[in-house]
Amino acid sequence: MNRSQFRFLGFGVGLRRPHYTRVIDNHSAVDWFEVVSENFMVTGGRPLQVLERVRARCPIVLHGVSMSLGSVDPLNQEYLWRLRDLARRFEPAWISDHLCWTGVGGKNLHDLLPLPYTQEAVTWVARRIRQVQETLERPILIENVSSYLTFVHSTLSEWDFLGAVADEADCGILLDINNIYVSAFNHGFAPERYIESVPAERVVQYHLAGHSDYGSHLLDTHDRPVCAKVWSLYEQAVRRFGDVSTSVEWDDNIPEFATLEATAGEARARYESAAQSAGDARCHRV
Amino acid sequence: MPPSLAETQNLLYRLITATSGVEEGFAAEENLPLGGITAVIRGDSRVSAFERVEVYANMYFYRLLDVAKEDFPATFGVLGEANFHNLITGYLVEYPPRDPSINEAFRHLPDFVRRSQWLEKWPYLSSLIGLERALVEVFLGRDARPLNCVDLRAISWGEWSSLWIAAHPAARVLDCEWRVDEIVRAVEEGLPISEPSRGPTAILLWRTNCVVGHRRLDDLEQAAFKMIQENTDFGTLCEMIAFKIGEEATPPVVQRMLTRWLEDGVLIRTVAERGNIQQGVRAVENTRGSDT
Repeated sequence: MNRSQFRFLGFGVGLRRPHYTRVIDNHSAVDWFEVVSENFMVTGGRPLQVLERVRARCPIVLHGVSMSLGSVDPLNQEYLWRLRDLARRFEPAWISDHLCWTGVGGKNLHDLLPLPYTQEAVTWVARRIRQVQETLERPILIENVSSYLTFVHSTLSEWDFLGAVADEADCGILLDINNIYVSAFNHGFAPERYIESVPAERVVQYHLAGHSDYGSHLLDTHDRPVCAKVWSLYEQAVRRFGDVSTSVEWDDNIPEFATLEATAGEARARYESAAQSAGDARCHRV
Repeated sequence: MPPSLAETQNLLYRLITATSGVEEGFAAEENLPLGGITAVIRGDSRVSAFERVEVYANMYFYRLLDVAKEDFPATFGVLGEANFHNLITGYLVEYPPRDPSINEAFRHLPDFVRRSQWLEKWPYLSSLIGLERALVEVFLGRDARPLNCVDLRAISWGEWSSLWIAAHPAARVLDCEWRVDEIVRAVEEGLPISEPSRGPTAILLWRTNCVVGHRRLDDLEQAAFKMIQENTDFGTLCEMIAFKIGEEATPPVVQRMLTRWLEDGVLIRTVAERGNIQQGVRAVENTRGSDT
């Protein structure tokens, strides 16, 4: 995998059902859309019509939640073939999913569960990612999840685990800045260290999102604006990683589309400022 | 010896889905690790190891409960919060989700209730849940371009009798023992819920764009729609209706039915195939009985 295989898309948002009509009827100020793959792995109907119209206008990225890359269950080949067919039809800029497991023993927890950060897990997950990339005919991105527990038998830090899996699988990284912040709070590590340690040549996309604060822990709820500390981490990431596409996630208490546009606009402004301060005058626009 | 990846995942699955809670679930484990839960999962003074697993346990159950409330609002309205919570808890023990799509998590809820003691107090409950589940499946059903008035105007009168029509793939007819659509309608319109009357009821369900509709069918329309679901030509359909109600009464009835089906978007144009022609002939013979 070479980062140059993934073009810089600019600043996008997650496409959600309440915004379908608004997006296809009106010009949008965002550069691209990220769509949840599973919502479009359907046999027909409005979702696919919407995606056709969006794709005719701008780039899209397919972001899944069901690949369960870390599970000890076999990979779901039927799911992968359907995803491959969806990608052949809509030509996304890339495909991503999460570095996690979602179920075991044939049963599904419908959640993104953390892995122990061990060499066994690195080897196991990397092998599965290579199989997935072969089926999908392209390198994928893996996203760091937010977590609420860690395992005693982990031998690596989360960022070293992410880097090791990506290196061994030769895949890209979707760096979720909010997830880094949430996990850092929940487990007591410095989020800045995470950003400084992830292999720069593999980071292809950022996620920005909001979370909920329960005092003793944070929950990755994607239901409110990006907080100041996450913006600050984002700027640190921009200074380190250079041209990396950004998308805003908002999955619950979904506001008007204008709010997402404004958040993407704020990301663009902060990106340009941070890039300039890093001495990087290249600010691409799609 | 640290647990393997498989052991770790299976343990965590059991703890997250333990109906008695994480701590009791861990106590029930056959091979408890020395040192207890903290030998496997880190905890600290802010959030203990058990509490950390409970975060996932709560997310698992309440995410599914929220989906169930969204998919079965009328059932929720009938049972109330506590009973609905207990219904879903019992269901998830017997039918833990297996499909990657959360839309499939409650596919078996009608069967579960049909075999349960919930029917003692709410005898119509499995009919109601069956209707609500069918509404979800119609929403998710396959799409096709529905037949419309413009399409029909383009067909010359001479071609009408040989026009082949079929039901939209997302449309279906549900046979219920109870008139549970009354409850669904009441919830949709924000009206009080009352116990439904009992009696065989055929309910047509369909989808237009992202909106699912439902209405009752009388016996004649039910028979007519059944023919359409089996793929028929317009002429044979009219013959069946004429046989049942007489030739003179047929045209206005056909017009009313056709108008309503076009409005609902439940028809698609199809192509005649030999097998389908034979099906249409058999349907007419069955409605006529033996020839005199």
